Amino acid sequence: MTADQEKLISEAVEKALAGDMDSINAIEDRSLRAKAKAALVKAKRAAKAEQKTETSDDAKSADSSVPQEPGSPLASLLTAFYPGEIVESSNDGNSIQIKPEKWEEIAVFLRDHADALLDQLECLTGVDLGEGEELQVRYNLHSMKHRHKLEVLINADRNSPEIPSVETVWRMADWFERETYDMYGIVFNGHRDLRRLLCPEDWEGWPLRKDYEEQKTYHGIVVPKVKEGWE
Amino acid sequence: MGVAAAKEIGPVQAEEMVLNIGPQHPSTHGVLRLKVKTDGEIVSEVIPYIGYLHRCFEKHAESITYEQVIPFTDRCDYLGSMNNNFGFAVAMEELMDIKVPERVEYIRIIMAELNRIASHLLALGVYGLDVGAFTPFLHMFRDRERILDIFELTCGARLLYNYMWVGGVSHDLPRNFDSICIDFLDYFEPKIPEFNELLTTNKIFIERTADVGVMPAEVAISYGVSGPNLRGSGVKWDVRRDEPYSIYDKFDFEIPVGSGDVGTLGDCWDRYWVRMLEMMESCKIIRQALKTIPEGGDVHQMVPKKIRPPKGSIYRRTESPRGDLGYYIISDGSEIPFRMKMRSPALTALSVLDEISAGWMISDVIAILGSLDIVLGEIDR
Repeated sequence: MTADQEKLISEAVEKALAGDMDSINAIEDRSLRAKAKAALVKAKRAAKAEQKTETSDDAKSADSSVPQEPGSPLASLLTAFYPGEIVESSNDGNSIQIKPEKWEEIAVFLRDHADALLDQLECLTGVDLGEGEELQVRYNLHSMKHRHKLEVLINADRNSPEIPSVETVWRMADWFERETYDMYGIVFNGHRDLRRLLCPEDWEGWPLRKDYEEQKTYHGIVVPKVKEGWE
Repeated sequence: MGVAAAKEIGPVQAEEMVLNIGPQHPSTHGVLRLKVKTDGEIVSEVIPYIGYLHRCFEKHAESITYEQVIPFTDRCDYLGSMNNNFGFAVAMEELMDIKVPERVEYIRIIMAELNRIASHLLALGVYGLDVGAFTPFLHMFRDRERILDIFELTCGARLLYNYMWVGGVSHDLPRNFDSICIDFLDYFEPKIPEFNELLTTNKIFIERTADVGVMPAEVAISYGVSGPNLRGSGVKWDVRRDEPYSIYDKFDFEIPVGSGDVGTLGDCWDRYWVRMLEMMESCKIIRQALKTIPEGGDVHQMVPKKIRPPKGSIYRRTESPRGDLGYYIISDGSEIPFRMKMRSPALTALSVLDEISAGWMISDVIAILGSLDIVLGEIDR
């Protein structure tokens, strides 16, 4: 590569980094254009890596000085009112894991507090964290007024999973809690009508648990085994 | 007659009667059983029993690769399959940080909106059937057929498409797609006033639906009701506008909401009317998209050879014809989903049935159920 060509590439890459891709696309020679694009990708990657080290440095310094600064207004609101209930908060503060004990009270607080107003429960998901691990329920909340979101995570013991019900707080939770009970066997304390939703009422076992084994027969009908993998 | 005779006959019976509707009944829109408790003819409680079509979609998804999940999503809401594919593709692309080519975005939006029209046509036609109008049903199915023809031309399937892949679509548009699609729109748009004459403004239809099954906005939000049902209650909320995905923010369209013009805000007629107006908006979006769609390029360009998303989780909702269709995907870094949850809009719509149908007559319950436009395949998954 001649010095002229090198100069051309470095100039084009600089312009592209500033947001002007046309300068690279305008290079007529195909191999030169490819080289310029490769150089651009390299430059971008280097910039990203730099940023990452910066942010991780920040996180470290924050850890040592103050007890974890929550990243979103909702997270800080929750930390201010229920400091003892928070188990873990994600870096961006959009996802918070809390203890189950006061969940119903916290739910009412999140729905009614003027700065939260999380009036819509978008989704309620049960998760099995793996064989021998805990079960988890995730609540995706959304405010129709403020247009912000929060994800609440609650873990439950595998052998006797119990979580307070929020069926009266968001009526949607009624059927979604029933579904989660149906699939994972998580008991929602205080639910007024906790029955199986999708499976028959006399079905045995909790289908979506990772260690689930089908019952052999159901009312004299042989239950087919789930095939291992698909061909 | 006197006291003695009255004693012989006994006091007036005022017990509750339990009426069982379904699971095999056309007005239940699938396989749904309703246990209706009535006092005379007045309904006091409706208890839906679901699960007759449960196929363990979520359990299946934990044993197949991400590509193989897409045909399963087709079979959940079989009236809006394109939109189901779309939601899954959008969620996966967000999780994997894939930017799809612009032409693909346009194709997807055209298909999703065509499917929305097809789905609403079925919903409205069948709704007419529920309340006793047979002719509009035939008219609407005739037009829906033309949309299915367009889908067949594009991807070979009429009902279950497996069309939108993660990172692209399965086929590019056929060569003369533009003119076929414009032909259809030119044919279809004048049909809407015709439907209005046939059904919307029909006196009997209004008598059956206006003021019936009123759903206040707070109730709708608390129950997680979404889509046309929520907008029928006057809430201007549309995921396409409020949490834009794909390139919906490039198009100019209105969000129709219920107004209570004929009856009360949030009644069956409002929910019906919102769907009718939405079909016009969909036509508008398709016309804009056809005008600006970029030519050329490979629709498979960004389709990954192996889908292996990074460790993490995502919840993404999109606007299906029935409302907020959400996917909660948890990836453990392998080719097989660790957990796949589908948040079904029809499930929340059905759960509100008991709340809004108490106090109405049995025949009104059928009208209310029809106005919610549920698909049991999606409820039971």
